Amino acid sequence: MAARSLLRSIWTSFAGLKQGFTGTSVNSLLRVNVPQISAVAMQTRGIRQVVEKKDGKTTTIEGQIIEIPAGPQPPNPTAKCPIYRWNLQHKYNYTDVLLLSQFIRSDGGMLPRRITGLCLEEHRKIAICVQMAHRAGLLPDHKPKLPEDHVPKRPKPQLNRYLTRWSIDSVKPIYKRGLKWCKKRMDVGHPALRNNVRYGVKPLYIKH
Amino acid sequence: MSSFSRSAQQWATFARSWFLIDARMQPPGKIATMCSVRLQGKHKPIYHALSDCGDHVVVINTKHIAFSGNKWEQKVYSSHTGFPGGFKQVTAAQLHLKDPKAIVRLAVYGMLPRNLHRRTMMQRLHIFPEDELPDDIRANLTEELPQPREIPRKLSEYTQEEIDAFPRLWIPPEDYKMK
Repeated sequence: MAARSLLRSIWTSFAGLKQGFTGTSVNSLLRVNVPQISAVAMQTRGIRQVVEKKDGKTTTIEGQIIEIPAGPQPPNPTAKCPIYRWNLQHKYNYTDVLLLSQFIRSDGGMLPRRITGLCLEEHRKIAICVQMAHRAGLLPDHKPKLPEDHVPKRPKPQLNRYLTRWSIDSVKPIYKRGLKWCKKRMDVGHPALRNNVRYGVKPLYIKH
Repeated sequence: MSSFSRSAQQWATFARSWFLIDARMQPPGKIATMCSVRLQGKHKPIYHALSDCGDHVVVINTKHIAFSGNKWEQKVYSSHTGFPGGFKQVTAAQLHLKDPKAIVRLAVYGMLPRNLHRRTMMQRLHIFPEDELPDDIRANLTEELPQPREIPRKLSEYTQEEIDAFPRLWIPPEDYKMK
């Protein structure tokens, strides 16, 4: 049970249970229709195998938990926030999609802080990086589901961008840029990521 | 090359080369600096402003250029036709939709020295919005320059093994559904 309590996952087991319920007409052992995930690195609650037993008139459908070994342990297990547990404090950016995708829903929104366990600053930084990643088009499968007959009012121009701080519709063009001492600069990136580790000599250039 | 004969070495030093730059997902400013350096001939040790030592540069895929920040909406390109009421201001997005070559062309034009050589250097710059090149230019190309910006990988481009190899940072609680 201790090993099992370490290994948790929600969507695999729920998806498995739902598929198990729909196939009650099949007599033989129902194998859970779970997409191929290598169980070595993933910490799961316990993917269940649906077993159907028929004793005369009573049919017992049971979800038997498959024992899966635990994944790699974080280098700093005593910290509260997952980023601090894995010592990734100032080391991630909008390009680290593998990290960011762990904190988002399937339609691209952020998961609540009380669920993920992130501290406030890291939650905000991850939210900012997720926003920038969405605007850069790095998360193509996490778009919100639109109804089938949805037709956009005006066709969106397909323009490549990266490190966008502000939302596309909210920004106005800078018609008068001003002289050198009063120049209206264009913002790139976000000041929340100012303390990120930089391996080069050049400083972070936020105002272009 | 030291193995060349004197005449061959002389020819190789003063020949005009053709460079290729792929501007896909690249910031136009960085592309323009690379272009302007090579159009002036400043990448050569034999550079002199009067000796017309600039090379040709071919830029492809300018339609897929990527601006950092919100420059597509904020950056404004202004021009005046000379007639009263002829001051036109267009955002980068609008200009790019109208003419996909204009942004790179204007960027390079602004980075070249402001003298009479600038027009000749602009004639040696060849910009193409997509991959297709005319055959005579393709035959002339000598070198492809590396792209200034590393293109980040999308989540769909990662293999399932790489996604699995990345450790899970947090464990969702048992009753939490919806992910």
